Parts: sequence; structure tokens; C-alpha cells
Amino acid sequence: MEDDKKPQLISPPAAAKKDALDELDSKVKKYLRGSGADLEGVKDKKLRGQLAVREDLYGESAKAAAKTEKWLMPSEEGYLEAEGLEKTWQIKQESIVQEVDILSSRKAFDMILPDLGPYTLDYTSNGRYMAVAGRKGHLAIIDMYSMYLIKEMQVRETVRDVTFLHNELIFAAAQKKYPCIYNRDGVELHSLKEHGATLKLQFLRNHFLLASINKFGQLHYQDMTMGEMVANYRTGLGRCDVMQVNRWNAVVGLGHSCGKVTMWKPTSSAPLVKMLCHHGAITAMAFHPGGHLMATAGQERRIKLWDLRKFEVLHTYTGNAKSLEFSQKGLLAVGNGSSVQIWRDQSGDHKYSRYMSHSMVKGYQVQKVAFRAYEDVLSIGHSMGLSSILVPGSGEPNFDSWVANPFETGRQRREKEVHSLLDKLPPETIMLDPTSIGNVRPEKKKERLTKKESEAEMQAAITAAKSAPLKNKTKGRNKPSKREKKKHEGIARVKRPFLDQQLKEEQQLLKKKQRISDDPQLPKSLRKFIPKLE
Amino acid sequence: MQKMKKRKRNAKAGKSVKGGRGFGGTKSGGPRLPNSLLSQFPVLKPHNGGLGTDGNAGVDDEDINSDEGEIGGLDVYEYDEPMPEEESMKNRRYDHVDNFEYELPEKFEDSNVPSDDGEEEEEDYRGFKDIKRSSNSDVLSGNETEEEEDNARHDRMLQRITELPAEVFESRPQIRNVVSEAYLESEYNPTRDILDGSGHLTIQDLLNPIQGKPVYTEFRKRMQRLNKKSLTLQPPLPKVAQENLEREVAYARSKKDVTKWEPLVKRNREAPTIFFDEDINLGFSTVGAITSEFEPRTDFEKKMASLVHDSKVAEAHKEDGAKLLELNKISLEDVKDRQNRLAKMRSLLFRHEMKAKHIKKIKSKTFHRLLKKDKEKRTSIDVQMDPEAAKELAMKQEFKRAEERLRLKHKNNNKWATRILKRGLAIQDEQTQAAISEQLHQHALLTRKMNSMKDSSSGEDDKSSDEDDDDDDDNLDLGMKSDMASKLLTKAKEKTFEVMEDEDEMPKSGVFSLPFMTRSLAKKSEEARAEAKVALEEYDLALNQHDTDVPNNRNKGTSSGRRVFGASIKQPEEPSHVNNNIGRDSDDEDCEINKNVNVESARSVSLQKGVQIDIDQLNEEFDVGQDFESFDHLVRGNAPKTTYESAVFASGSWSGKKNPNVAGSTNRKPTGVAQHDSSFDNLKDVDDNDDPESGEEMVDGILSSSPKPDYELPSQADLIRMAFAGDDVEQEFEQEKIEVLNEENPEPEKTLSLPGWGQWTSLQEKYGLPSWITEEHENAKRRRDEALSKRKDAHLKNVIISEKINKKAENLHTKTLPFPYTSKEVFEQSIRVPIGPEYNPVTSIVALNRPEVVKTAGVIIKPIKFEEVNPHEKGSEQNLNSKRDTPKVKKNKPNNGKVIKATKTAKKKS
Repeated sequence: MEDDKKPQLISPPAAAKKDALDELDSKVKKYLRGSGADLEGVKDKKLRGQLAVREDLYGESAKAAAKTEKWLMPSEEGYLEAEGLEKTWQIKQESIVQEVDILSSRKAFDMILPDLGPYTLDYTSNGRYMAVAGRKGHLAIIDMYSMYLIKEMQVRETVRDVTFLHNELIFAAAQKKYPCIYNRDGVELHSLKEHGATLKLQFLRNHFLLASINKFGQLHYQDMTMGEMVANYRTGLGRCDVMQVNRWNAVVGLGHSCGKVTMWKPTSSAPLVKMLCHHGAITAMAFHPGGHLMATAGQERRIKLWDLRKFEVLHTYTGNAKSLEFSQKGLLAVGNGSSVQIWRDQSGDHKYSRYMSHSMVKGYQVQKVAFRAYEDVLSIGHSMGLSSILVPGSGEPNFDSWVANPFETGRQRREKEVHSLLDKLPPETIMLDPTSIGNVRPEKKKERLTKKESEAEMQAAITAAKSAPLKNKTKGRNKPSKREKKKHEGIARVKRPFLDQQLKEEQQLLKKKQRISDDPQLPKSLRKFIPKLE
Repeated sequence: MQKMKKRKRNAKAGKSVKGGRGFGGTKSGGPRLPNSLLSQFPVLKPHNGGLGTDGNAGVDDEDINSDEGEIGGLDVYEYDEPMPEEESMKNRRYDHVDNFEYELPEKFEDSNVPSDDGEEEEEDYRGFKDIKRSSNSDVLSGNETEEEEDNARHDRMLQRITELPAEVFESRPQIRNVVSEAYLESEYNPTRDILDGSGHLTIQDLLNPIQGKPVYTEFRKRMQRLNKKSLTLQPPLPKVAQENLEREVAYARSKKDVTKWEPLVKRNREAPTIFFDEDINLGFSTVGAITSEFEPRTDFEKKMASLVHDSKVAEAHKEDGAKLLELNKISLEDVKDRQNRLAKMRSLLFRHEMKAKHIKKIKSKTFHRLLKKDKEKRTSIDVQMDPEAAKELAMKQEFKRAEERLRLKHKNNNKWATRILKRGLAIQDEQTQAAISEQLHQHALLTRKMNSMKDSSSGEDDKSSDEDDDDDDDNLDLGMKSDMASKLLTKAKEKTFEVMEDEDEMPKSGVFSLPFMTRSLAKKSEEARAEAKVALEEYDLALNQHDTDVPNNRNKGTSSGRRVFGASIKQPEEPSHVNNNIGRDSDDEDCEINKNVNVESARSVSLQKGVQIDIDQLNEEFDVGQDFESFDHLVRGNAPKTTYESAVFASGSWSGKKNPNVAGSTNRKPTGVAQHDSSFDNLKDVDDNDDPESGEEMVDGILSSSPKPDYELPSQADLIRMAFAGDDVEQEFEQEKIEVLNEENPEPEKTLSLPGWGQWTSLQEKYGLPSWITEEHENAKRRRDEALSKRKDAHLKNVIISEKINKKAENLHTKTLPFPYTSKEVFEQSIRVPIGPEYNPVTSIVALNRPEVVKTAGVIIKPIKFEEVNPHEKGSEQNLNSKRDTPKVKKNKPNNGKVIKATKTAKKKS
């Protein structure tokens, strides 16, 4: 007992210190972006010294960053915590709204728009503006900060999807025949007729590309700066109305009716990855902002979580989903029917479990769920309008104004627009693993030369050796016989490596053959029963 | 070692000499001597041998100082000749030669070594010279008497020097017939005399006269002692060896010296950054500081300083200027001095001027040419000598060039040149032609640089620009235009006048002087004149008009209204009116638009209230849409249900679309799955009607807000569907994957064998296919399998990962591993951390991006200075805080990355 007590008495300050150190360590690790090279393996002394210095600098930088993080990122996200037998998913929105401050409580609302639904929606990257599109042609932009309706209009034709472009000034709507681009004042700037009757739109922010998938399963990429059509690919898998961008690597994921998920980049006509995720049609998919996690929902009542590094299933859950969405902090919203569930990865091993649930009035059909960035808010577009609920712990509590600023002024927006245009990435930077940029170019497959080719090469070398001019030697050494000899020697020298190579291969083959043909020979009488090779 | 070598060498030399003697007998001493001469040698021999044989003579040391031998050899005449080696047939080293001639003694002394006794040497030398001279003269003249006389004289001289009785010298053999040397006398070709040892003095010789005197014994004893105790002095080493040794020592020393720099150099090499801009003393910052530091050095400066810092003057300055006048006294002498100096200067100037005038007046061309030449020479020397003159010259040349470019003086458009050209260059005499060409050449020379600088000649440009200007006049503003126009008109007038005047001058000779020609010309000229007159009138009119127009225009302003510059003030009324109209129109339109917008906005009430738009109308529109073809059919009213039902329909349409696909795919299969299919399709159809459970609920109109997620057991049909749903899809996917794989790595072709081909004999049938075909096939198969197993998706059943390499993206990768790196991983890990300002705290950006050498422009990098560095310090530690243990050194001191920080911390600690 005493033994137990003593450390307890002594430990608190020490433990606190240790905790702090551990925390700092974990943060430092984050900023170090992986471990340094094994210096023991480096044989070059100079290089080793240089690398050691570099690593020290990196370490110091990471430490400084970890320390400053404390001041730059003061707030932490909160979570719902249940007491006793209570479960977090039993807590209703009403009770949450009552508990939070007035500003936050205003963020939860319901808008009943019965006539023009179902509604889909999209947020700007800073989470301040929301674009709403009703199926029957109702378009609106709302400033979520002041709840001010910036513009509302009726395009009088089917609108299937809406997405903001690089900022809130321009947005694209997938309309009946083709997508159109509108500015904030509702003026139609462009109509992208080439895209056809698009079903889904996605905007790749860093590349300024608008990706769309149309009724015929054609994937279009259009550059939004110069207006040039970057790519136009046929998926060949029929109509597809599930499309999501992996924000980490800007790869576009498509969910098809045959249960396949394909991932695309604008510079390749074949999908980067094609995977069979479900046996039924894919109804929804979502990518974790970290880029390594994907959630898909199939019509056969399955929701699966995928590890995108290994392309393997992590977990499979039973359930339908009309819409899936990951929040900035990794919560997964699953919208189905008239209820929305929020899942959370409690233990950190991607084992998502139910965290919250919200059900709307029976009969409302969820069309789209979307988390608001930098806020603990989930917006739901459904058949009867919009509603917004509070989801504690969904949004990133600290914003970086270099990345996205929810309180952006006009001047800042303009500045950022210019900056983002200058930093625009070319389409070829889209790849499955963008961290490999700058690495050594992957080796091309070295094709072994066929026998014919190698022979031709040898012949070429021999002719070259034959035609090579001979030096004029001194008297006596310049005799025709000697010259002839020299020539022969040269040819033999050229031939040798090829012959050596051939010999080597033959020997290898022999060895292998010996290994292979160890099987016992049949007696002659039985040989005729062996089926002949065609 | 060196000595030993030397000895050996000497020995060798001796031997070779001997060998030579063995062969030729007299080869050692230059040319072969005739036998008659050689017969004289026996007389010489005994004396010689006495000198040569004792002491270390056996060791045949020829080069070594032979004092010992000389002194030791007391029995001068007792010499018995040893048997020559070649005769003794020792070792059979020599071919047997019958020796009929007399030979020189085997050993003899080399007297060509400076002896200790300077005097003796001198004598030796003199004697030897004399002998030589005498011998030479002997040979040449052949006069015996003279020779004898010479010898006698020589003997007398020796006698006088040595104070020896004459008999001593008389006993010497008389060498008469000595042949002069064929070669030039040098150390390689010693003369006969030297080799023989004749004319050589020994101490013994010198001691002999005092024999019997009391001092003699003492001397002799001393000499003996000397002989006994004397150590052989080693000869100095040859120069090469000496230098070698010296170098060795110097190398060892400098090596030690250099090693002390090693740690310093190592530190600098290991440092990630070297600083050269530490402790830059910029010196004075203000003018005041500079002046305060000024110290008078030269006499003049001192004088000035004494005056400037004079207390009286300072005081005077301080108070008022009045006292300065008092101080400013000049003595009479000073003034006189000054006047004198000025007068001198003036006179000098005057003289110079006069001289110049005189020279200028000289008409002699040759004189001037010479003068010019002289001047040029001087300037050229000047230019070569000092850079300032060169600069001046360059400036001058440049000025000339500029002038030429401006004036175009040499460009054949002066009066003289134009006249000549007009008359025709070919007609001119050579000199003028040369002059013209010279001028052109000069022009070319002067404008060459410009041409080389810009490709297009500026002259042309100017012209073209002028023309352009003329063309552009229309576009110019009116004020300018009017001015230009009037100018143009006046110009045109002038031109026409000129033309008219020119026409008056009729040619008085040639073809044109013929009467009909003159007539026709006159006619033409009249016509031309009439035209010119008309033109002139027009010009006049235009000018007048223009003059009146200009003010009018200024009042009116322009009709175009766009380009209005200072002159025009009033806007023309009409266009403005039009503009207003347009404005109004546009305003109206705007208003309309606005109204429309307003109307629209009025129509579309706020979101909260819901949008009030005629839904029927909408529905009509939607009817046209493909998606909603049967929308009306489904719609029962305006209730919210309808919206949902559209969704239901959408899904329905999808499933409807999908079915044939499924059917098609299943049909492809030959297996018996088809049986299932019909039932499966039916099931699906049923399912489609009640697919989403919640949807059913909705249609039923049961609105329940219960939060419970109600789960119902799936129906039997559902279960069956779920059970069989996957099969089809998975197989399809597998098929697809195989296809993709085949596309990249095609399956090897099956073994080629035509039916019946090669099977017509039992032998062929027996052996089957030739082995090489099967082998090839197997190899191809194996290769394919290997390739497939290397794919990323080799182990993933339901995944196809494209292996295509994107050529565009290749530029984003490093082409090859950069130099010091040998492994890809290390390189990739080294670049994993971004070093830009966006990713790092401010404090570390500088350190991360510091260049290898930090140096401000203009700082002189001085050579490295020595300082103590602990060589056993750890490398990495040293890199971080190297300055902690190194004393501060000025400027050139190289340090590394963390230096500044380190010093700060050190200061804090202290």
C-alpha cells in the first residue's frame, strides 16, 4: 500500500510534466513529417554530416512550431459526453441548443421550403457562405454568418447540383441541359454546354478545375481560369450520380451503379483505380480530409470504410445512406431517409460508432448532408427544405487565415484570389500520392530484349566495328595481315558482351529447367495418354 | 650512404680508366699518342710512381685529396711497379692482350684537387701554365733552343721560389715532345701534366731546404703528427643530394606546420554555413567624424592646419569678421613674388602661343605631316601608358562619332560631294575618287559602332518615322494638325516655285537643243507651269481657308468628340445629344432591368415564406424534361409528397435502366445461371416497387417523428436478392481485371501448330512439338506471371490499379538521384520537410534557408588565420555551437549556422 502511495504523492508534478512533454513530442512528430534517414547507412562522410545538420534544423523547426502551436491554436474541439447510462446519440438537438451560447444556438435552424425541393447545398471552403439548390430550379446564396440571403433566384428548370467555385462570388449549378455559372448577383456568366446534362459537380480548388459527370457517364474537367476543357473521359460504366473529390490529392471518385468505385485524374483516360466496393449500386461516398479514408454506401444496405493506402476494407456496417460526408475532424454523417446519423471514430482505429443521431419530421427525405467548415454545424438538404443541426466536435476549432478565413473581408478575398491563382497547380500534379512529387522518377519497366532484337543490336555493333577506321601504324606493323588481324580482334571485342549475356541467360534457363523438369518421366507405353499440346 | 655511393662511383671510374688502358694503352689521357712519344714516358715514370703508390693508393682513390700520398711517399724514387691487373689475369676479367707498349702506372694521383695550401696551388697553377705554354710553343715552332731556354727559365723560377738547389730541378725529366691536347682543357679533359703529376709541389719539397736547421725536426714532427691524426675530410655532397636532403627536412617541417591547420580546415569544411561578413567596420559614418579624425601629414597640410587652428583666427571667426581683416596682412615681398611669378607665367604662355602661331603658319606639308605623326605617336604611347589618356581618347572618339551621326558631314551630302556625284563619279580623276571613298570610309568608321549596336540604321528609321509622322498627322489632334497642314502647304508652294524656276533653265546643247525638241519641251514646260499655277492657287486657297478654319475649329471643337485635348473646350452639341439619348436609353433599359429585377425580387419573396411560383407552370415545364416524363402521371396534387415521388421515380428509372444490363451480362454466360435470372429479374421488379422502406412509409402518409431507428428483418425476397446479387458483379469484375492485365501483358500466343503439319511421319508424331516451341511458350508464360505478380494490385482481388506512367507528371519528379546521394530513400527522406515560410516558424526559416556562404558584397575575404581549435571535438556538436570555444577573430573568421545564437547564450552564461 505504501509503495503505491509514494509514487502517487511524488508523481503529480512529474506526471504533468511528462504529459506535457509527451504532448509536445507528438506535436513535434507531426511537424517532422516522418523520420529522418538512417545516417548509419550513408557511406559518404560529407553527406552524412550535411544530413545530420539538416535533421537538426528540421528538429528545431518542428519543436518551435510545436511550441507556437500552443499559442496559435488555442481552442480544442469539444465532444458530447454522456453520463452514466445516457448515450450520446440520445441527446436531442433541443437540449443541445438550450445549453450552448446564443450565437451557436442560432446556427441550428429549419427552413421549410416545400415546393421546390429536394434541396442540395454546398459551402465555401471557409464555411461562411452556403449555396442552396432546389431540384425545381431554386438557387440561393446565404451568408451563414449573418443569415443574410444574398441572392435568390429561380432558373425554372431542373437543378441537380450546385457548387461554389474558388470563392463565394461565383458558383456553378448543374441544370437540366448543361451546367451554368452564375455570379453572386445571379447573372449567368457562362453556360458550359460541352458538359451535357450533368448530374454532379465538383470543384478542385487548388487546380481550378470544375469536374462534372453527366448522364452518359462522361467525366469532364474544365479549367476555370482560362476556360479550356482539360479532359473529357468516358467512364463506360453508365449513368453515375455519385461523385466526390478527395481533397487531399484532388482525385475524383465516382460511384457507379455496378458497385464499382473509380478514381480519376484529368491526365489519364483510364481510371487510376477501379475497385469493386459493393454488390449493389453505390448510393453515396465520401473522403476523409486526411485523404486515406473513404466511406462508401451501397444499395445492398452496406456502408464500408476503406483504407485508400491499401485499398482494403477496414470496416463494414449495415445500413443505407443517401448521402455521406466527413467533417474536418473526421466525423462521418450518414443521411438516410428522414434521419441523419453521425458516426465518430472513438478509439482512433477507424472503428466508427454511432455518436449522434437526428431525425427530422417523418417524410422528409435527406438529399445531402454537408458539414460547415470551422463550425460545429451540419446542414441537411432534404425534400422539404433545409435544416441545420449542431454537432459538437465536427469542425476545426482554429482557422488559418492563410488557408481559409471565415471572417474574410473583401480586400482579403481579392488578395487571396490573386494568390490562389498564382499558386494554381497544373492538372498533372493530381496523382494518387501527391507526396511523391519531387521524388526520384519511378523507373520505367525495363523490357528484356527479345532474341531478335539482341541479335540485331549485335549485328549493328559488329558493322560499326567493321567500318571503324584503322590507325596507320608504323612500318612493319601496318601490313595487311596485321591490319586484318586488328579488325578481327575489334569485332571479337565488340561481340563478347553480347555473347556473354547470351551464355548467361542460357545457363540460367538451364538451371531453371532442371528445377522444373524434375517431374518423373512416364514410361513409354503410357506416354500416348498424355494430352498433346495444341 | 652518400659517401659510400661516391666511393663506389670513384672506384668504377678508376676501373674504367684501367680497362681503357688495358685496351688502348693510352686512352686515358686524351688522344692516342704516337709510339715515339710514348717512349719518352719511362723517364717520367719513377717520379710519378713515387707519388702515386702508397697510403690509400691501393684503394685507387683518384679524386680524393692526395696530400697524404704525396707526403707519405718519402721514398720518391723507390717504386716497383706492380703487375697490372690485366696481366695477372685476375678473375679473367680482361681479354688477353699482348702488351708490347709501355703503360702508364696503374695508379696516379689526380692533382686537380685544390690543395690546402693556397700558395702552393698558385704556384702549381703557374708552373703548369708555363709548362703548357712551353709545350704548345714547342710543338708549334719546333725550336729546341727556345725550349731549353724556357725550361731553364722555369727551373730558375722554381729555384727562386723554393730556394732549392738547382740539381733538384735538373734531375727532373725533361719532357720535350708533348703533344698539345686535342680537346679543350677542362675538368673532364685534364691535361697530361695534371694527370702525370709533373710540376707538382709537395710539402716535402718545401721542407727539404731547411733540413738540418734547428726548426726542421720540429716541423717534421708536427707534420708527422698531422699525418697520423689527420682525418680524411669528407668531400661535400653533390648539389643534387644536398638539395634532396634539404627538401626532405623541409618537407617534414612543413608537414608538421600544415597539420596544425587541419582541425581548422576540417571545421570550415564541416560547417554548413561560412560567414565572411562578421564585424565589418564601416569606419566613419558622418562627415564630422571623418574630419575630426583628420591628421595633417604633409608639410602643406601641417601649414594649413596651423593656420586653420590658429587661436587668433578662430577667435576672430567667433567674434565678428572685423578682426579677420587685420589678420589678413600681406607682406610686400609676397606680393612682389606673386607678381613675378605671374609675369613669368604670362611670358611663358605668350611664347608658347607665338610658337604655336608660327608652327601653324608653316606651309610645308612634310613638316606638318611629321608633326602630326609625332603627335600621334605620342598620344598612342600615352594611351598605352596611362588609362586616363585612353579614357579621354575613347571619349573623344565617342564624341566624334556622335557628332558624325548628328551632322552626317561625311555622308556625301555636302555641296562638294553632291556636285561630284552629280557629275558622275566615274568621270572624276583618281584623287577625287579616292577622296570620296575616303570620306565614305570615314563615315562608315564613325558610324560603325552605332550600326553594330542596333541592326537597323537609325537614319532610315528617322526617315521612316518622319514619314510615319506625316501619315499620322491625320490622326493627330486638330491644333497640331492645323499647324502641320499650313507648314506642309507652304512647303509645297515653295517646291512648286522651285520647279518652275528650274524649268526656265533650258538645255543649250545636245539633243535637247534641236528645234523640235525645244518646241516640245516648251510645250511641256508650259503645261507644267499651268499645272503648277493651279496647284499654287489651290495651295493659297487652302492656306487661307486653313487660317480661317483654325480659329473656327477651336471654337467648334471636334465632331468626333473622343480625343479632346486642351484646345477644344466646348462639346459639340449634336453628338452630346445623341449620347444623352443613348444614355437615356440605356438608363431606361437599366431601369427596366432594375424593374424586372425588382419585380422578380418582389415576386420571389423571402425564403422563409416559401417561393410562390406557379407550380402548374413549372410542372408543365418539367413535363418536357426527360426525367419527369411521367411526372404528371404520378402527381396527385401539390402536396409535398410529389417532390418525393419524383425521387422515387428517379430511382425507378435507374433500376429500369439497369435491368437490361444485368440481363445482358448474364446472358453472356454459358453456365446455368440463366435459370436464376428470370426469377431474379422478377424479384427485382417487385423490389423496385417497394425498395426503400422509408419511402413506403412516406407514401402511406404515416408521419412518425419517433427517433428510434426501426429495423425490420429483411423479407425473404430481399435475402435471396442479397445472396445472389454479388455473384454476377464479382465475376464481371474479375473478367474485367483479366482483360486489363492482358492489355498490359498480353498472354503468350498458344504454340503454333497447324493440324496435320509436321505429323505425317510417325517419327514426328512420336516426338511431338519441337522443344523450342514449347520452351518459348513456357518462358513467355513465366515472364507474364512475374510481371503480374509485381503489380500493386496483385493481391487485391477486387481492385485494379492502373500502372500507366503519366508522361506529363514525369517532369514533377527528379530525373536521377542527385550526386552525393546513393540511395533513393535517403534522398526522399531528406526532402520530406518543406523549408518555405508557409510551413515553418519564422525563427527557423532563416536557418533552414541559409546559403553555404554568407557574405555581403564588397567585403574582402582575407586568407584564413590560424587559431586554436580542439580537433577532438565532436562534429555535430561543433556544428551547433562552434563558437563557444573559439576566440573571436576578425572578419575572415568562418563560422557556422548556429553561431550567433551560440554567442548570445555564451554571453548570458558569463
